[in-house]
Amino acid sequence: MSEDRSRILNMLADGKITAEEAERLLDALDARGVSAAGPAESSIKGDPGPLLEALPKYLFVKVDSANGDKVDVKIPVALVRSGLKLTSLIPPQAMEQIDSSMSEHGMSIDFSNLKPEDINELVEALRETEISVDSENGDKVRVYCA
Amino acid sequence: MNWPPTILDLRIASSDRRPVRVWLPLFLLWPLALVLGVLALVFTTLADVVLLIFGQRYHHYTILLARSFAALNETRGMAIHITGSGAAVDLTVL
Repeated sequence: MSEDRSRILNMLADGKITAEEAERLLDALDARGVSAAGPAESSIKGDPGPLLEALPKYLFVKVDSANGDKVDVKIPVALVRSGLKLTSLIPPQAMEQIDSSMSEHGMSIDFSNLKPEDINELVEALRETEISVDSENGDKVRVYCA
Repeated sequence: MNWPPTILDLRIASSDRRPVRVWLPLFLLWPLALVLGVLALVFTTLADVVLLIFGQRYHHYTILLARSFAALNETRGMAIHITGSGAAVDLTVL
């Protein structure tokens, strides 16, 4: 186990960070390959604040229409995660109605098959996702995390 | 877990009217929400026990309630800004 990894786990054990923060830090370590860099290049020196701050916390959806209308939505990534986790607990009868309503609108997503590990992967992937759509009539849509 | 949202900041501006800014003190609703939450927890726990006894596959209303509350708490920091046809609406959850 790398020094950074054990440091994060110690901070979790000491109650300095929450389980979710620890998970984010570990994911960030994996993503940045810090663990492979070895103890000499360790980036965590007790205070996890800077690394936590560096992680994207909000999902932004920006729509600029050609006629001047604008919509900006800022959603906490934690809310996305909580919302996705909630879907696995929705009663089956309600879930059937949601699924049928969504498929009527062209979105065939079976939320009942979402597992907790899938949700974590999805949210982490979302942090690195950026979607930009420029339509011919001048409408622009941008979805990104920051 | 985060604290529930404390304030809802709502701003409405239009070209033909004076801008309006409303700060809704959501923290005043916390005691009421706590009472309702505890009552709901008791009810859902009983419902889950009954469902479990009767062998129903779905008996997760208590967890659903707790997760819903957690999701509500994560709304802090959410902001929506809409501008169009001479009017603008800003909604921020603090």
